[in-house]
Amino acid sequence: MSCLHTISKSPGTQLLESCLKIIASGDAILFIEDGTYYANSARKLEAIDKACKIYGLREDMLARAILTKAADSVELIDTARFVKLCCEHDKIVSWF
Amino acid sequence: MTENSKPQKSRITFISRAAPYGQNKANLCLDMALASAVFEQDVNYIFFGDGVYQILKGQDGSAIESKTLGNALETLELYGIEKIYADRQSLEERDISESELLSGMQIVDSDSITKIIESSDTVFNL
Amino acid sequence: MKFSIVIYAAPYSSEAAHSALRFARSVIDQGHELYRLFFFGDGVHNASQLAVVAQDENNLQQQWNDLIEKHGIDSVICVSSALRRGVLNQTEANRHDLGTASAYTSSEVAGLGQLVDAAIHSDRLVNFG
Repeated sequence: MSCLHTISKSPGTQLLESCLKIIASGDAILFIEDGTYYANSARKLEAIDKACKIYGLREDMLARAILTKAADSVELIDTARFVKLCCEHDKIVSWF
Repeated sequence: MTENSKPQKSRITFISRAAPYGQNKANLCLDMALASAVFEQDVNYIFFGDGVYQILKGQDGSAIESKTLGNALETLELYGIEKIYADRQSLEERDISESELLSGMQIVDSDSITKIIESSDTVFNL
Repeated sequence: MKFSIVIYAAPYSSEAAHSALRFARSVIDQGHELYRLFFFGDGVHNASQLAVVAQDENNLQQQWNDLIEKHGIDSVICVSSALRRGVLNQTEANRHDLGTASAYTSSEVAGLGQLVDAAIHSDRLVNFG
């Protein structure tokens, strides 16, 4: 019964911090659009439970010149894999 | 609701996170919840983050030629939505006390919200 | 799997509508069923057929229309959001005595019941805003 959380706005919105207040262990987080800026901040990602997988949308990171700066804990995926992740989790909670 | 002859019941949770008036997310969230209630779904409604500003008593939208969202929120109960929650930490962070709130709110901790999300079929979060 | 997608964002103002389009294409490419697209709030602008964009720019509204028509997707624009934003089909334009239909005919103008129906009947509902 896990949940995929998508975060699509930049770190100034504190969306990740809000998400972490109610995320369950075993859920996953996917950074898309401006949310991908979170993916190159290892310090911000430290707050995420180790049981939660972290993904970043490759296309959005490539566009923003941050693909090579992704933290080690972030798995880079494409849109096709985004769809697959939706299938692997029971529901999707979008943070925007 | 044309496709199904037999009505199905789904647990739908709304997390309303936007302050009222400045943008229309709070209204969109409310409209979706009311529609879900009309179609007899099992609705949870949660005020979280800046969304708790929606449930302050004494709002007067007429001052800015708008409808008063606080009044509209009172229709949640009229539509049979009884599970209405406000996040305790969101209130505390904004220095809002329980006495300032509209009636009918259950104040809950974030752990309870996590459990509500886990038990839901669909979550709208805006 | 059965997917539905809800779009809250207007085209061009944010990336979200474009993300939703790319996601929708991928859902179809992978052989899943796209049960419904639901355009809500500012998202209804994605169904406007009266947009003109620069030649070197994507016409997002047209791309949505092409996708919807090509795959016969059930696409709905929320009636209350659409009317107040001037996104009308011919029926609504006639009813309100406004000359021009501004919405592509590929999307139906309907109420939030269609969103609730999508939530009930889809395996996965994904929001873009």
